[in-house]
Amino acid sequence: MAEPAYTVASDSENTNEEKSSSSPSLPEIAVGIDIGTSQCSIAVWNGSQVHILRNTRNQKLIKSFVTFKDEVPAGGVSNQLAHEQEMLTGAAIFNMKRLIGRVDTDPVVHASKNLPFLVQTLDIGVRPFIAALVNNAWRSTTPEEVLAIFLVELRLMAETQLKRPVRNVVLTVPVSFSRFQLTRIERACAMAGLHVLRLMPEPTAIALLYAQQQQMATHDNMGSGNERLAVIFNMGAGYCDVAVTATAGGVSQIKSLAGNPIGGEDILQNTIRHIAPPNVEASSLLRVATQDAIHRLSEQDNVQIEVDLGNGNKISKVLDRLEFEEVNQKAFAECERLVVQCLRDAKVEVGDIDDVIMVGGCSYIPKVRNILKNVCKKDEIFKGVNPLEAAVRGAALEGAVTSGIHDPFGSLDLLTIQATALAVGVRANGNNFIPVIPRNTMVPARKDLFFTTVQDNQKEALIIVYEGEGETVEENHLLGYFKIIGIPAAPKGVPEINVCMDIDASNALRVFAAVLMPGSSSPVVPVIEVRMPTVDDGHGWCAQALNVKYGSALDLITLQRKM
Amino acid sequence: MLSSSPTSFTHPFLSSSSPPLSPISPATRAARISAPLVSATTASCSYTCAEDSPRLHQIPRRLTTANASLYEILEVPHGATSQDIKSAYRRLARICHPDVAGIDRTDSNSSSSSAEEFMKIHAAYCTLSDPEKRSVYDRRMLRRSRPLTVATNSGLGSYVGRNWETDQCW
Repeated sequence: MAEPAYTVASDSENTNEEKSSSSPSLPEIAVGIDIGTSQCSIAVWNGSQVHILRNTRNQKLIKSFVTFKDEVPAGGVSNQLAHEQEMLTGAAIFNMKRLIGRVDTDPVVHASKNLPFLVQTLDIGVRPFIAALVNNAWRSTTPEEVLAIFLVELRLMAETQLKRPVRNVVLTVPVSFSRFQLTRIERACAMAGLHVLRLMPEPTAIALLYAQQQQMATHDNMGSGNERLAVIFNMGAGYCDVAVTATAGGVSQIKSLAGNPIGGEDILQNTIRHIAPPNVEASSLLRVATQDAIHRLSEQDNVQIEVDLGNGNKISKVLDRLEFEEVNQKAFAECERLVVQCLRDAKVEVGDIDDVIMVGGCSYIPKVRNILKNVCKKDEIFKGVNPLEAAVRGAALEGAVTSGIHDPFGSLDLLTIQATALAVGVRANGNNFIPVIPRNTMVPARKDLFFTTVQDNQKEALIIVYEGEGETVEENHLLGYFKIIGIPAAPKGVPEINVCMDIDASNALRVFAAVLMPGSSSPVVPVIEVRMPTVDDGHGWCAQALNVKYGSALDLITLQRKM
Repeated sequence: MLSSSPTSFTHPFLSSSSPPLSPISPATRAARISAPLVSATTASCSYTCAEDSPRLHQIPRRLTTANASLYEILEVPHGATSQDIKSAYRRLARICHPDVAGIDRTDSNSSSSSAEEFMKIHAAYCTLSDPEKRSVYDRRMLRRSRPLTVATNSGLGSYVGRNWETDQCW
């Protein structure tokens, strides 16, 4: 029983070093890292408060990119850029958080094909080919590798400043990340010599910071104080996340989560397409100018954009706020939809909302602020957090809390009761996705469902596990599959196949399958336990191959019980 | 360590076969639970003070909850207000949530049983914090002399009994 715990279990790519147990000395305080699509930050509990580390240029927010030059790639932590455009020559890979763990049929990958580095897709559901331009040659890499290089630099920077080794980390991740994508983040961390204690959905990190602030303000350690209901909206360059949280006494209970890969990058690309004359290649100059214009539009009603594209091509245009909002109407509508969905899932009345918290770069966009004010019927947005630092501060708090650090003033008497961001379930009833644990279920969670066979004397059945919200399996992320064998011969519909899913407090998912026969209460064959995800790449076509091989011979349908 | 109870398979295979999933072994967080909080309830007092020998102290609490009503699980009186129920839930969360209670991660039983414990507390909270579900539950309690329990001892009934409680929440 007391076998050594795996750090990134069932990941065979792991190094041995990663699995070795840490020394039993004083607990190391885990650092918090907010890996943003466009910028990253790293923070740590310094014994009395959260301290955000700065790089050698005194920046707390560090641009997320890695430049492949000559032999040694260099990331944004150490690398000095003379101009913004330098990042756009093709030698630098950025936006890795948008690409990690995605296959080449994913629309988000396709949207990345406009970027200056190479994103090549074959559109068959495999990982895209990504390469940086080095000495006029494309040097291939992967999002995991790029992220790992960047994380190594962050780790070295932190080790230099903290004067101790840094190993344990808490990272923030988008709500919409599938479990497969989470394993890719863990993989990148393992490559960088970091050990992940928690991957926190971004808004839940902000919820923790909010809970701490609230607790400090009221000095309420009994958990009896008035519960405060907050809507947390986080929109950065790559992702939009929403959470509804109920907080009191340092306990933050996540009521609902919603997220989508929509962010500032989409808004930027829409706007570039709108500004650029037809048949003109989007250049790095145009990208920088448009980004600057969008930033200024948060303060001004209109901006003048002047770009000399060379070859006599010049762009001179006045962009006003209304026009900008029209161009991005779809993106803003999606933000609104997420907030509405999150509120509905949380089953809260709009009138009961105490605070609306907005963070991330896109939270400065007036249109986005208005959407939140309208939907939540609030005149004011919460002012107690810094929109660009809140996530990393929350991650650093969680890092201290999960490291078991005690604060004499009670600043760390905090707890987040998490909820699942996506449903997990199995394929059954034909090609349908049957959720076993629905989304927004409190974690730790354990639920089970009964299925039965579709053929007479069916001896085997496939358990194909998916995660997502779609009704058919194709709309969801494949997590893994296994076969139950030894079902006793019986007419179809008689054997009872119990599929149980368990998510523990550290968000690990295990799937159990047991075969029962009517009248007997113990399983007739040994129960199968599988830790998910087991797929080593996000290939949806593993499922297609299973379908070609077995058809419906090993299918399941939900068991109708006569109660 | 695997207990083989012939009447229900879900419980033994889930609660005792779980591997230690999280490699972290944070220092004793239960020590942080402030004094008034612990003394507020004798039942959880024995549980939270269990740093040195967690398994010894778990038993009484688990025995009390095995046949407990939802009110007993949340340690509130039957006439508790919704505010009482909310604060009881948060107070117990800070004692029983695996992030807090799973101090001794080398012992797989302690971390998985705190998850089990907390899931029961959460299920009780879900029912009692919803006025409609609470009144349905109260009526069912009245009709039976014994409160609804987590597990009954008939074969199929063990599933029904078990699911009944966890299914309340969603």
